[in-house]
Formats: sequence, structure tokens, C-alpha cells
Amino acid sequence: MSEETKPAPAPAEKAAAPAATAGEAPATPPKPTVAKPGSKQTLTKPIAETGNLWMTRRNFLSRAGWVAFFSFVGTMLLGSLRYMFPRVLFEPSTVFKAGFPTDYPVGAVSTKWVKDYRTWIVRNDKGFYAIFAQCTHLGCTPRWLEAEGKFKCPCHGSGFTMEAINFEGPAPRPLERVQIALAEDGQLLIDTSIRFREELGQWSNASAFLNYA
Amino acid sequence: MQAVFDRIKESVLKTQVWKSIFRHDYEDSQRNRLLQVLDNIWLHLHPTKLPRHGAYLRFTWCMGGITFLLFLVTAVTGVLLMFYYRPTAEYAFADMKYLQFDVPFGMFLRNMHRWAAHGMVIAVWLHMFRVFLTGSYKPPREFNWVVGVILLTTTLLLSFTGYLLPWDQLSIWAVTVGTNMARATPLLGHEGPFGPELGMKPDNDVRFMLLGGTQVGPPTLLRFYVLHCIFLPLFLAVFIAVHFWRVRKDGGISGPL
Amino acid sequence: MENLKNILSNADNVPIVGLLFIMVFFVWLWWREASRTDKRIANGEWEQIRAEGQDKIHVWPYLTRNEFLCSLAIMILLTVWSVGLDAPLEEPANPSRTPNPSKAPWYFLGLQEMLVYFDPWIAGVVLPTIIIVGLMAIPYIDKNPKGNGYYTYQERKFAIITFLFGFLVLWLSLIILGTFLRGPGWNFFAPWELWDTHKVVAMVNVDLHEALGIRSKLGANIFGAIIVGAYFSLAFVYYFWKKDGELIKQLGVARYGVLAFLFLTMMALPIKMILRIFFNIKYIWVTPWFNV
Ligand code: HEM
Repeated sequence: MSEETKPAPAPAEKAAAPAATAGEAPATPPKPTVAKPGSKQTLTKPIAETGNLWMTRRNFLSRAGWVAFFSFVGTMLLGSLRYMFPRVLFEPSTVFKAGFPTDYPVGAVSTKWVKDYRTWIVRNDKGFYAIFAQCTHLGCTPRWLEAEGKFKCPCHGSGFTMEAINFEGPAPRPLERVQIALAEDGQLLIDTSIRFREELGQWSNASAFLNYA
Repeated sequence: MQAVFDRIKESVLKTQVWKSIFRHDYEDSQRNRLLQVLDNIWLHLHPTKLPRHGAYLRFTWCMGGITFLLFLVTAVTGVLLMFYYRPTAEYAFADMKYLQFDVPFGMFLRNMHRWAAHGMVIAVWLHMFRVFLTGSYKPPREFNWVVGVILLTTTLLLSFTGYLLPWDQLSIWAVTVGTNMARATPLLGHEGPFGPELGMKPDNDVRFMLLGGTQVGPPTLLRFYVLHCIFLPLFLAVFIAVHFWRVRKDGGISGPL
Repeated sequence: MENLKNILSNADNVPIVGLLFIMVFFVWLWWREASRTDKRIANGEWEQIRAEGQDKIHVWPYLTRNEFLCSLAIMILLTVWSVGLDAPLEEPANPSRTPNPSKAPWYFLGLQEMLVYFDPWIAGVVLPTIIIVGLMAIPYIDKNPKGNGYYTYQERKFAIITFLFGFLVLWLSLIILGTFLRGPGWNFFAPWELWDTHKVVAMVNVDLHEALGIRSKLGANIFGAIIVGAYFSLAFVYYFWKKDGELIKQLGVARYGVLAFLFLTMMALPIKMILRIFFNIKYIWVTPWFNV
């Protein structure tokens, strides 16, 4: 920005150029401070004459008017903003029964609920946990790669162990586990709206893991 | 034969109807050159004269004009597509198939809409590139550059919202990846820095507002449709008007100062 | 080669291939015009250049004719393109099956590529905002009065090099990288390699503090803050080093500050790319709330 090849035409030469060129401050003479003829002082009488302490009636009404105007506009804006957040969602239920514990072999990841409920159910030798099938990077659905024993996200290549811990790629934290319990009829009961995050120490919560021997 | 044509032409040109529409004749005179521009609503955006280099392709690359042309093409073809397209999850994809395989010229219009949109993205980048290279953002045109950046952003948003509408695998996953970033908005997203601390959840953060749900679903399709077909085009049109007006008010096309 | 053909024949990728050629052409055109003007300025013909800039012609027919011809050419191109190439339509949307790879539309692939190097809140929210605001700020930062309204290189080298770097090297080449070299799992594939969904890439990324043997969480936090702080305080170093230089005098403190911040932020991208690609460094600064 600072080459000195040619003498740039001094801005003052641009006879027709609008004076809006910012940054030429030193070139323009300082503005003389003249009282503006249209300002309030000339329209309303000085306070001393009207006897009002801090506001004339006209002043008050005009301010009240503006306050009303902006409160109206503001309320409309806030209302429209709130309008964009619906109260009822038509999304699939987050609670489902996943069959009996005996349906699941030990040491395997079950992918049968991914399609409908986005959940993997894993059984290890101590019991069950359920993992929500949503990459913690950008929310794609990872896949369970049986041969490599890991969850792999197709979007940006994040990888997670069978325990749901992130170990490669851009994902910043482990996958989330969801609530798992036994229903009265002995089936697994899963609620995907209740999530447990490892980095917050929530995996040790009672309902994040189902003891089952 | 020629004589007959001339007679007809003369009598048409003399009628009150013709004269009420066209206010001057077509002869190439100094006066008519100015009137062509001044008397014509479409052309009167232009000044009557401009610096010689302003008409050269090698100076402006005509890129602003091309961007505008492509915007008009997408607007016209888009309105035509709207006659057949229904923005609901049941119908959207089927309507695309219908347009492609059954509606006469449907495929052609869909192609034209899509390629004009892609072209517009390229053209608007190149336009910005040329405005930068000629230094045309320098005083007094600073503000028009800012308006331009708004136009650039809106153009990209238009393309992005349109990408969802076919409701195929390409669209929902591109949009899923794109809108998932909103989860991570600092303060306003439920996975962004300090978002959870401020009470953001999947069903009350910015992403929720954008999608109308916690995942890309039917409400998202409807929202993006309204944004794509009404809100963003109007917004763009308004700012294009400001942009053009400012090009004139800032002294016309820039030249060596 | 098979794979390259697939990518090239993907209808949505046609604009990128086109863009490659178009960019080369326009950069060449700019260079030709700029070096002509620069030569004339060096010869002391500046007054003459200005005078030519004042020379006026009629809009009708000279400009309207060019606009009309331009529109015709574009419409012909668009028609041929639309007849010859169909817009893609894949299988119906299916939220439970993520295709591999999942790519954003091509004009956002630069952003998607940035996601590999930064967490989503930076790559997806903060950096795009900074790009937009930074673009808007250009006219208010660039105080160089020269090069207003004509092509030149000599008179505004820094501005032009910076912009070309940001636009061509960062924005466009990341798009090209994302289109041609990223395959399933967002893994890196050479153009002639087949996209293998099962390609296993050992990613042994470590955080910078781990690489340097800092183990405690607090230590990592402080260490990262120092590194990032030191990086951005390069702005101060340069300021005090060149305080009396032409550039800083022209800009003043506030403008210089904004320029330095934008410039350093832009350079952070290539720096992090290099750290990631060649040194497998993932984060520089790890805190309980966010990672950089
Ligand atoms: C929808 C998008 C846009 C449209 C339709 C548009 C249209 C135009 C047109 C027709 C012109 C007249 C000169 C020319 O064709 O080059 C122009 C000039 C200009 N545009 Fe845009 N533009 C758009 C976006 C932008 C963007 C993204 C920028 C910059 C960031 C920008 C900045 C400017 C400036 C500064 C001028 C004045 C140039 C001069 O006087 O040499 N515009 N625009």
C-alpha cells in the first residue's frame, strides 16, 4: 500500500469529487461550530421561561410518542422471532423398546435401531449401553465398521471406538450415550432425548449404563 | 413490393397508438442517442454518456451485468418451476421427477435454473475480483463495496437454500453438514463455546430456528422454500436497486483518479 | 484415472472445472492491463492516462450494444449447457443413511475443508463471519489513494498480493482440493486413485502441548493461551518495529490494528493446515470450553 512511484494527484485537485472521502481529515479545515438554526433551543422556549423543570409538554409528548413507536416495532420483532420457534414438533418419538437383552450377543454392536432411532446398542460383559448415532463433529451418521471395530463418520472421517471415544479425525469429543433401562416387561427401554456426555463425566450416571450379567 | 412496405410502415408510424408508445424516431442523431436512454424505463438506469473505458469488456468484464442477467434468468425459471413444485416432504422429490420426466421442457427449465444459479455464484465472485483489481472500492465508492458484500452473501445463501429443495440425498446431507455448523455458534448454539452455559438446547438455539426442528426435516424444507422463493430474492432485489443507484450516485463507473 | 473421470463428469462439478480456466484467463487479462498501465506510469504518462479516463462516449449505442452482445453470449452458453447437461437428482432423502462422502455444494467446499483444521465454531461460524466483515472493511482499511479506477500492480502491491492469496490460494484452491482430492471419509485421495470406502488412514493426531510433553490440563490451557497470544501479538512487534514506516503512518493505529488482526487470522489457516498435514498437530490451545 505504500509504493512511491508517481505523485498521486492531490485529492484537492478532484474538483468534482464529492467531499465524502474519509481520512483526508487534515486537508479539510475544521468545521466552525455554528449553532444550528433548526435545533430545539430555538423552537421551544428556554426552561426558565416555561417554568418546566426538565421537560416541556411538547417534549414529553414527542418522547412518549417515540417510546411507543419503538416499543411497538420492538415487540413486533420479538414476536416474529418467537414465532420462528414452534411449540410442538412432529418428530419421531425418542422413547422406544429395543427387545429383550438376550437378543444381543456379548461384545457386539447392534445396528438394527440406527435406521429408525439413530441408536446403537452395545453389550459388553458387564451390561448394556446405547450410543446416539450422530457424529459430534457435524452431526452426520457414522457407520459401524465391523472389520475394523470402530465407528467411522463418512463426512470428515472422524473415528470412534466401540466405547464411543473419539480417536481420529476432527470430532472434538466422544459420541453421546443415551438413557437405557429395563422396562417392566423385561425389554430394553431407550430414551434418546436424554444424553450423557463423557467429557462432563456423565457416563457414570446410573441410567447411562445397564448392568446385566 | 418495397414501396408497399414503406407505405405500411409510414402509416403505422403515424398512428396515435404508435406515437403514444414510442416518443421519438429511430434515426441516429445526437438527440436520439440521448433519448434512447432517457425515454426508456429499462435503459434509464444508465447515464447518457460514460467514460470510454466503461464500455470496454476488458475493463468491467461486464461481470456486474452478467450477474444481474443470471439473477433475472433464475428469477424467471424459478417462478416457472414453482408451478409444479410442492415444498413438502411427501411431494418434493416426486415433483422433481415429474418435472424431469413428464412436464414438457421441465428438465430444461430445471437445468437452466440450476446452471444459471451456479453461473451467478461464479460471476459474482469475478465481479468482486475485478472491482478489487481496479481499486473501484476506494473513495467515494466504499459503501457500494459494502452493499456488494451483502449481495455476495445473499447470493450464496440463495444457492444454499435452493440446494435443499430437490429433497434428495445430495440436498439433505449437504444442508445437514452446512446447518450443523450452527450448532457450534458461540453463545447461541447448543454445542458452541458458552452455549450450554447460557441454556441453549437442541430445541431452542439458532439452528433450531433455522431448521424449524431439531433435524433437517419437513419444516426445514418449508422454511428453506420460503426463504429461497420469497424472502431472499426480494432482499437481493432491494439491495441490487441500492447497488445500481449508488453506482450512478458515486459518479458512474470508476476511472483513473 | 477412472475416478478422475467420475469426478469430472459429475454435472455439479462442471462449474469448478470451468472456473479453473476462467480464472486463468482473467488473471492473465488483469496482468496484461496492469503491466501496460504500470509501464505507462513509469514513462511519466500519468496525466495522459487520466485524460483518457475523462473521454466520454454515448451509452447508446456503444454500451448498450456491448451489454446486448454479452447477454446473448451468456444466454447461448446457458442454453447449450442446459440442453447438454442434466442437473443431478439422486435417491430420495433418507436421514438415516449418510452417503460417503457427503459434500457441501462446491462453493462451500472451502468452508468444509476448513472444518478439518478447526472446530466447527471457528470454521463454520467465526471464520465465515470474519471473511464477510473483513471484506466489508477493505475500503476502510486500504488508505492507499493510488490505483483507484484502473488496473495496476506496482502501485498497490501489498493489497493485491494479499487479496490474490486469500482468493486464489486459500478460497479457490481449497474448493478444488475439496472437489478433486477428498474422497470417502474425507480422506485424501490422489486424482488417479479409486475412492475406496474402506481406506484406513492411521491418524495419530496429537495436541501441540502433548507433542511438547505438557501433561496437566491447566498447563495445556495456559500454554495454549500463550502460544495464541504470542501469535497475535506479532502485530505489536511489527508495530513497534516499523512504527515510523510508511504503512503504519498512513493507516494510523486503529486501522493498523484491524488490518493486522484480519491478516493474522487469514494466515492462521495455512499455518494450521501445515501443522496438521505435516506434523499431525490437532489443537494448539485446549480449554474446557473450546479448543483452537
Ligand atoms: C448480485 C450481485 C451483484 C450485482 C447484480 C452487481 C451489479 C453491478 C453492476 C451492473 C455494476 C456496474 C459495473 C460493472 O458491471 O462492473 C456494478 C458495479 C460495482 N459493484 Fe457490483 N454487483 C453485484 C455484487 C457486487 C459485489 C459482491 C461487490 C463487491 C464486494 C460489488 C461492488 C461493486 C462496486 C464497488 C461497483 C462500482 C464499480 C465501478 O464503479 O467501477 N458488487 N455492480
